[in-house]
Amino acid sequence: MNRANAIWVIYASLGCALLLMLLPLPMDWRMIRPDIATLVLYYWVLALPHRVGVATAFTVGVMQDLIEGAPLGLSSPGLMLATLLLLLNYQRIRQFDLLQQSLMMLVLLILSAGVEQWLRNGIDLPASSWSGLFGLVCSMLCWIPLRSALRHSRRYYEVY
Amino acid sequence: MALQRGAVDAAAFASDIVLAPLDAWDRLAASFRSRSALQDDLLRLQQENRVLKGQSQRLASLLAENARYKALLNSAREIEDELIAAQITSLSPDPARHVVMLNKGAADGVQAGQPVLGAEGLIGQISLAGEYNSRAVLITDSAHALPVQINRSGLRAIAEGSGTIDRLVIRHLAATTDIRVGDLLVTSGLGGRFPHGYPVARVTDVDISPGDAFAVVSAAPSSALDRGRHVLVVERAPELTTAGAR
Repeated sequence: MNRANAIWVIYASLGCALLLMLLPLPMDWRMIRPDIATLVLYYWVLALPHRVGVATAFTVGVMQDLIEGAPLGLSSPGLMLATLLLLLNYQRIRQFDLLQQSLMMLVLLILSAGVEQWLRNGIDLPASSWSGLFGLVCSMLCWIPLRSALRHSRRYYEVY
Repeated sequence: MALQRGAVDAAAFASDIVLAPLDAWDRLAASFRSRSALQDDLLRLQQENRVLKGQSQRLASLLAENARYKALLNSAREIEDELIAAQITSLSPDPARHVVMLNKGAADGVQAGQPVLGAEGLIGQISLAGEYNSRAVLITDSAHALPVQINRSGLRAIAEGSGTIDRLVIRHLAATTDIRVGDLLVTSGLGGRFPHGYPVARVTDVDISPGDAFAVVSAAPSSALDRGRHVLVVERAPELTTAGAR
């Protein structure tokens, strides 16, 4: 295994994505806010599975909860499960074309969001309605531009 | 819990960074407002001030009268509530929740559980207070419910948040209850969390279906929860809390 190079890019991009979650939106528009942080996490798992894995997913989940003010650990299990699936299948998913990859991301987003909603139900917190799926579709549409941006930065900084 | 309280401040700091360009633009725009617009504002505010002053004179006499009656009744005199002015800095990113960030925290006297008032009535309560920032749950959040009283008849009920920003729901109210569209709901003071008598909502719809034992009553919050940025946090004396809990 080679030595790590410029892995700060990973954490910087995750940090920026988490900051974007705080961008103020009108009450009704929050529904379509793409979940950039989750997508960035999935990108790095797909690109560098030996650097970014379940532990990073856990941390990103905790950060999301802290930012949202949700009970700690609500988003982590879903993200960890989706990350695990990515880790087991990253070679296959890398071969997909962009459209297929986007759909795969939608499936993973639905999985992680589903686990989160399930946990919310368990502790009697309000779960989002079906319209929450719009947000996931918006996230999916972000995958192609986000992937190319992260890919460029990964190659530019030679992150390994 | 300490971690979450710290996170309130950290998240507020982060959102300040994100918001910095917008804030700078707002400030720039404000500093270029025309003289005539400012004079209009001044005039309007002076008039408003006069009206309010006139009303508060009446209030003072009413308070004194009220205190005398209370003394006659030999009950404890209610302590006037201290108010902390705060601004809403952002909304929770989670679309399923109605949670707002305020720019005042424990350092300013804000504590979890304190009621939050808008211009026209109660809008929520503090759920988590950081050192310099805090989070407040709005009354329409679907995890929130508060004890209310119908101002006209004195009937007590629980108003639950519906998850929709302009609607509260009262369930489990007998279908024969005297409640009409337009009735004002005020806080009842039961439970000891909210002081008695703040306006909460106005009844917009009473749905009584003949087969059901309960009416479903909808009410619209008196304060528009999705408008305006300025709120007041009610800092209460501990005596009042126990008085409300009786």
